[in-house]
Amino acid sequence: MKKKTSRKRPAVNRIYYIYVGILAVLFFTFHTIPFLKGVMYSFTDWRGYGDWNFVGLRNYIHMFSDADTGNAYLFTFKFAVITTILVNVISLILACALNAKIKFKNTIKAFYFLPYMLGSLIVGFIFNYIFANLIPQLGKGLGIKALSVNILGTNNAIWGIIAVSLWIGCAFNTLIYIAGLQSIDTDVYEAADLDGATGFRRFSKITFPLLAPSFTINMVLSAKGYLMVYDQIMAMTEGGPGTSTTSIAVLIYKKGFGGGQFAYQSANAVMLFIVVVLISVFQLRVLEKREEKLG
Amino acid sequence: MNKKIVCTLMVGTLLAGMLTGCGGSSEGGSSAKGSKGTELELFSTKAENKDILQKLVDKFNETHEDVTIKITAPADAGTVLKTRMAKNDMPDIVAMGGDNNYTEVESAGMLVDLSGEDYISTVQESYLQMVYDVNKDKEEKAYGVPYATNASGVIYNVDKFEEYGIEIPKTWDEFIAVIEKLQDAGEQPLLMTYKDAWTSLCPWNSMAPDLAPTTFNDDRKAGKTTFVGTHEEIVEKYLKLLDYAQDDFMGLTYDDGNKAFANGEAAMIVNGNWAINQYLNSNSDLKVNMFAFPASNDEAQNYVTSGVDVLLGVCKDSANEEMAKEFVSFMLEPENAKMYIEDQFAFSAVKGVEQENETVAGVKEDIANGKVANFPDHYYPSGFDLSALISEMCLNYTNGMDNEENMNQFLAQCDEKYDIANVD
Repeated sequence: MKKKTSRKRPAVNRIYYIYVGILAVLFFTFHTIPFLKGVMYSFTDWRGYGDWNFVGLRNYIHMFSDADTGNAYLFTFKFAVITTILVNVISLILACALNAKIKFKNTIKAFYFLPYMLGSLIVGFIFNYIFANLIPQLGKGLGIKALSVNILGTNNAIWGIIAVSLWIGCAFNTLIYIAGLQSIDTDVYEAADLDGATGFRRFSKITFPLLAPSFTINMVLSAKGYLMVYDQIMAMTEGGPGTSTTSIAVLIYKKGFGGGQFAYQSANAVMLFIVVVLISVFQLRVLEKREEKLG
Repeated sequence: MNKKIVCTLMVGTLLAGMLTGCGGSSEGGSSAKGSKGTELELFSTKAENKDILQKLVDKFNETHEDVTIKITAPADAGTVLKTRMAKNDMPDIVAMGGDNNYTEVESAGMLVDLSGEDYISTVQESYLQMVYDVNKDKEEKAYGVPYATNASGVIYNVDKFEEYGIEIPKTWDEFIAVIEKLQDAGEQPLLMTYKDAWTSLCPWNSMAPDLAPTTFNDDRKAGKTTFVGTHEEIVEKYLKLLDYAQDDFMGLTYDDGNKAFANGEAAMIVNGNWAINQYLNSNSDLKVNMFAFPASNDEAQNYVTSGVDVLLGVCKDSANEEMAKEFVSFMLEPENAKMYIEDQFAFSAVKGVEQENETVAGVKEDIANGKVANFPDHYYPSGFDLSALISEMCLNYTNGMDNEENMNQFLAQCDEKYDIANVD
């Protein structure tokens, strides 16, 4: 019986299998194998070169008593939560503004999208200059003490990095929100108009719920991205002053390659992977439930 | 519509991931043979000496027609070298510092023993000893040949010292007196560039050999002593110096600070001879000189901090070991050694090759007399990131933490982090 039904199914063009096959092979060799190797090394005492032995769970157990790792996780979570929330709030406001019938809309959109096309390293270096030279001069000119020092050399270095991350991140998130806004049927708005819903009420009751799918994507992708933050920090503070802006990814790089702790930091990387997956799955569950309710 | 966006996104992120994933490993093989005979790779961990190395290499290439030497000097070279060691993709010749990066390469058995070569006898023993000291188990074999050495201390603006009639301080008390005199005259006595955390190590490296117990590094490694109880004076003096730093010293980068110093915005800076080149590049009229950091009130204790800045090593498994050895021998010829140190304001490890430049005249005599101490951080384990700890201490200082509390916290941290890093 089964054979018969499968024969009846229209034949799938082989070209799809070839496409998927090639990509699967490439993905497996360049992504999955290195990943699995990394997982394997996390159970060894490999320093990045030379001989190694399996040491079981030693690396993972050590992680819980290592203050550096703890601090890096604290910093990363703080950074990720603040930045994810801010980037979504700002992008949403921007998208709504850009979706309104204003003049020079496309030009302004282009401006907002520009940061996304620059590499975050380059943006980091540019802001490094701005924070070190321009802002302190401005602060001194205006007599504001808090602004007259390089923020990256103080306790507030995290805010400097957040500001830059927002500047880079808003572009992409805004784009998704604009796409979401454009897919909302104008009939809905007309109906809302007739019912007298305007301004913030219209946003909270109609626009925002209908943006739910875009919101889900943005929340998940930005949370994932900011939990793995690396390039902005390397360009701006290299984890300093002290270790106050050392994110997990920065710690893994610095200690793993520079400090000869390759295996230990592989364990850390595996841990980060698990944490990111758990958080993403959790977010997806919660946000998709919300979508269903609204839908 | 939404499905489409999701799909595009997913594909986009996948592709982006693949691209970044591939970026790191796109270096070509090192031992590629050119059409014109053999090609050797010289890996240098020092970005500042690339030009002069190139000149020397060109000179070597002229006389050896069938050989070409290619220089690799990437950013963050120590890390790159270790990564390449992981891939078993070593260059033929390395030119690197006599520091813990060297120890890692040497202890992994990557270098050829050059003790039997003729030129070893032309090298100053004190520097050869420094290389032995950082060999695994202090083995007395020349896996690396000391080539150029550096000096760290106080670099000062000669014009400003003359203007205020200041004598070179020989003791800590005199040093503080000089600083106060400059400050009273409205000058910025000390410039600090702690945005780049490594520069915060310079005063430490200058003070620790003068003030810490002489056997500290060996004892600490064996767990017989601790930073707590031996380094209090150093930290106290370190914090004292911060009182005289400019505003926002945590926010100034090394590059910007060098420009500021070159333009006469400060009288002194604690750094090393490697920075002098940078000052003169921004202001060729600047007159600078150097003196040994007077950390102690006992003049005899105030050493010039001088370490092996560049040593040359030949890698095992190099297909062209003989040619690589010949290149090292070429580099150590007095004429070539001289050429190198003149360009770099450095000192030579080759006997009889002296630095005659005025910009470092103040420490020349001490170096010739062997009144030198190696950089203490060359003996610390490589996972021990002291600069981050010092930078944290300085941050606490700017936040107004009590000095006593700051010191205790810092020293306790030093011991804790040292123990974590001190594993074989």
